[in-house]
Amino acid sequence: MLCLKKVIAASLTMLAGTSVFADQWDTTLEQIQSQYIVPKYQQFSSSANQLADATDALCAAPSNATLSAAQMAFRQNISDWQQVQWLNFGPVTYFMRYYAYEYWPDKKGVTQRQLRNLSSDPSMMAAPKFWTSASIAVRGMTAIESLLFHGDFNVIQRKSDCEVLEAISRHHAKTTEDVLSQWQQSKATDWIYPEEGASVTPEHLVLEQLVQQWLEHMSVVKDAKLETPIGYKDRPNLKLAEFYRSEASLAVIITNLKAYRALYHVGQPSLYDAASAEQPELAKALEAALSDSLKLALQLPQDYFTGEYSQDKRVALAKPLVRAISNSQTQLTNLVTALGFQIGFNSRDGD
Amino acid sequence: MLSRRAFLTSSLAALSIPTWASALPIETNGELFISAFSKSKTAHFIGAFGSNGKLRWSMPLPERAHAPVVHPTYSVIGAVARRPGFYIDFFNPLSGKAIKRITPLTDHHFYGHAVFSKDGLQLITQENHYPTGQGKIVTRRWPDGEVLNEYSSGGIGPHESVLMSDDTLVIANGGLQTHPDNDREIINLETMKPNVTYLSLSDGRLINQAQHEDALHQLSIRHLDVTAQGTVALGFQYHGEPWEKVPLVALSDVKSDHLDYIGMPDHVRTRFKQYCGSVCFDQSGETLAISTPRGGLVAYWDVPSKTFLGVDNCRDVCGLVATKHKHEFILTSGTGKQLISQPRQRKISQINQLAEVHWDNHLKRLDLKI
Repeated sequence: MLCLKKVIAASLTMLAGTSVFADQWDTTLEQIQSQYIVPKYQQFSSSANQLADATDALCAAPSNATLSAAQMAFRQNISDWQQVQWLNFGPVTYFMRYYAYEYWPDKKGVTQRQLRNLSSDPSMMAAPKFWTSASIAVRGMTAIESLLFHGDFNVIQRKSDCEVLEAISRHHAKTTEDVLSQWQQSKATDWIYPEEGASVTPEHLVLEQLVQQWLEHMSVVKDAKLETPIGYKDRPNLKLAEFYRSEASLAVIITNLKAYRALYHVGQPSLYDAASAEQPELAKALEAALSDSLKLALQLPQDYFTGEYSQDKRVALAKPLVRAISNSQTQLTNLVTALGFQIGFNSRDGD
Repeated sequence: MLSRRAFLTSSLAALSIPTWASALPIETNGELFISAFSKSKTAHFIGAFGSNGKLRWSMPLPERAHAPVVHPTYSVIGAVARRPGFYIDFFNPLSGKAIKRITPLTDHHFYGHAVFSKDGLQLITQENHYPTGQGKIVTRRWPDGEVLNEYSSGGIGPHESVLMSDDTLVIANGGLQTHPDNDREIINLETMKPNVTYLSLSDGRLINQAQHEDALHQLSIRHLDVTAQGTVALGFQYHGEPWEKVPLVALSDVKSDHLDYIGMPDHVRTRFKQYCGSVCFDQSGETLAISTPRGGLVAYWDVPSKTFLGVDNCRDVCGLVATKHKHEFILTSGTGKQLISQPRQRKISQINQLAEVHWDNHLKRLDLKI
């Protein structure tokens, strides 16, 4: 009998522990949504609207000054985008919005080709349902960047180029407003697919997916944003760097790395707080790895992607940062695995 | 290095193992399911579970495995090492007792899949001759393992193959050239050209071959299954851009050089994330199931009409095998789940979930009432 009591008591303790732990993640997730995702999308939406207004002003009175103002608004908008770029989850996954935001890397020059076609007759963009069938190459920031910075286009002297720019900027602002609105009107748990026999809470499943997105994004930063354009393992092609035309390739990496730290610390309890309670050493190791990555990125010369550096020099400069981002991935994986999250066994195998 | 004496002993042991008909464990309900699994980054196993989902046995493996291989008549199953793989370990599926190990040819590695000939006298493996990248089909006499033939697979990267008949092997040449010195780094991304090859096992003759149009050359043909009627289903993995709308599933047959792509709703296609895992027909050949661990779902089609039926949601699902009943499948996932699904009835239920077990990519079934 005594033995049975002990078993019941132990079971209750375990249940209570599970419940407290679940509540903690519930709160953390709720705060990631309310204090990170929604405010960051608000910023992104706000700067997308400012960009649309700036392109309106540019096309109404084309000049170097209005072009410069539109370019500045564009740089702000892509900076805001970099704070939510890691999150390919929820509203942004519908209607190819995520890939339409940024058609990158555009290895075949599809954006320029499609923009030239649109510029030959901008009135086609006013057709009903144009945007539902338009190529993702001309629906977002990659197209806007081309129109504002690419030598093939001249939004000051060619009215049709500016009309295309206006239409895309307005569409981009509307899309961003829609994504924001959907985040504001839903819970993160609304965006997952329930499965049979789920043994964890929906909040746990969402956090798991957010962490997967975070890990995948670290790979994008390391491989696509840094290694590929500089020729870390192969031939260099600096035109493959993200937003290279607007010379923002290094700035976006730094913004990404800052966003990781912000994400780790947002809310109370934050991911860091919650992780520290369970796995203090691993939580600190991730904190150190994230800080290290950011510090190393900030140490790169500002003209890292645009200056006259040899391939060997760029690779040598990148090596510590590449290692630091890899270490961040390892530390994040170790931490979340120790916390009981499944970040993918078969899904990360690739065979 | 196995001594000749030990080799002969193990070969004789394999031959003396009883056939299925003489060994029927009641609690398995006449069937056993075999899969590799891992418990951590360094602890890898092969194991068998019954229809109740309980693990009957498990045995450690030197490295992570990918797919099991099942002997058609003798009590033998094997665990094929994950690409680039350097072992196939064989076991008694009822007891888990180790039988023997087969290694690839010199300068070759396995791809994670293998198959026995229908009479069980030959083991057929897909191998990469990594100095040249040439895909090979190697046949070995069972059980002594003596190499009988080395044939060209008809392409690069032969990942999985299935038997269409006693003589015809269907091979998914994935097109990816890799070298084990650099693990899975793809050497030929810009020039890769996957195909499905129909090969004669008696002389290595290429019977037929089908491939994508040039624009889809990065659409790796990776997994496949075949019905009794000879319809082949193919699952693809795309190595191009994540936003490109490429076909992910096709049907093929030995008489056509054309791949018959079958569709799915756009929102489901997006969820696949350009990646198919296991490909599996049900017992009747009328229902096709394809898993996507990256999408966390299994999708189903009606084969005669090529229409999409629906999906089962399951995180990290990949293992997929038909049960003895029509239109019914067992699913396994990296989260340790075993599920049974009847997609035409829209019924799915969890059989079991094993803590700390990550079921690996592929699942096989043994019918113990042969």
